Amino acid sequence: MATTSGPRGPRSGDRDRDRGPGGQQGGKKKFFYRRKRVCKFCVEKLEYIDFKDVKMLQQFIPERGKILPRRISGTCALHQRKLQNAIKRARTVALLPFATD
Amino acid sequence: MRTYEVLFILSPQIAEEEATALITEFRSVAEKTGAKLKNEEAWGRRRLAYPIQKSTEGNYHLFVFESDGSLAELDRRMRNSDRVLRHIIVRTDEDLKRADKLAKRNPKKERVRPVAAATAEGVGTPGIPAIEGGV
Repeated sequence: MATTSGPRGPRSGDRDRDRGPGGQQGGKKKFFYRRKRVCKFCVEKLEYIDFKDVKMLQQFIPERGKILPRRISGTCALHQRKLQNAIKRARTVALLPFATD
Repeated sequence: MRTYEVLFILSPQIAEEEATALITEFRSVAEKTGAKLKNEEAWGRRRLAYPIQKSTEGNYHLFVFESDGSLAELDRRMRNSDRVLRHIIVRTDEDLKRADKLAKRNPKKERVRPVAAATAEGVGTPGIPAIEGGV
């Protein structure tokens, strides 16, 4: 798929490349197809977010130790709020850092 | 009946016997105020995410109580004890009940996904499920 031998020429090639990493940076805005992000908790039907579940919470803690905004993680408002509470609780008992550098 | 989770960190400097003594003391304090122990977990030594009182490790212990009263006395004891680096008391019954209700309202079901379209799209890009059609 790296070579642009797609049926519709360069455009479909662009598209595949942009979707490949699934990441934030896309060279050209115009042809940037962002993957539809879905709320992990809605999908997996996890209604209770436990502050003791460090492994799970860490998915929402980037390197710096901040809480991943929902515009990036795709978490829905309800679950982001619960997640936020859980992370803050985990921070008070030193399960998660307040900040790291 | 309310359910409380009590998580606390004991200082790693204290001896093991003293730690177990403290844990049993805390347990009895709570039970004296009408709480019933439902679950107990000794996590043991864990690295702290940040240093507390110059220690980088802590001895974690978890209680789950059920009680009609409050755990104020236990809270006070833990706050005043210099052996406890941190503690947190969280009431969980309401949240768990709400979560249960939500889970019942939308039971786990397979998301309807246009399978044919998904496989057709996903041919060239393994590992990246095509999920535009979903939700």
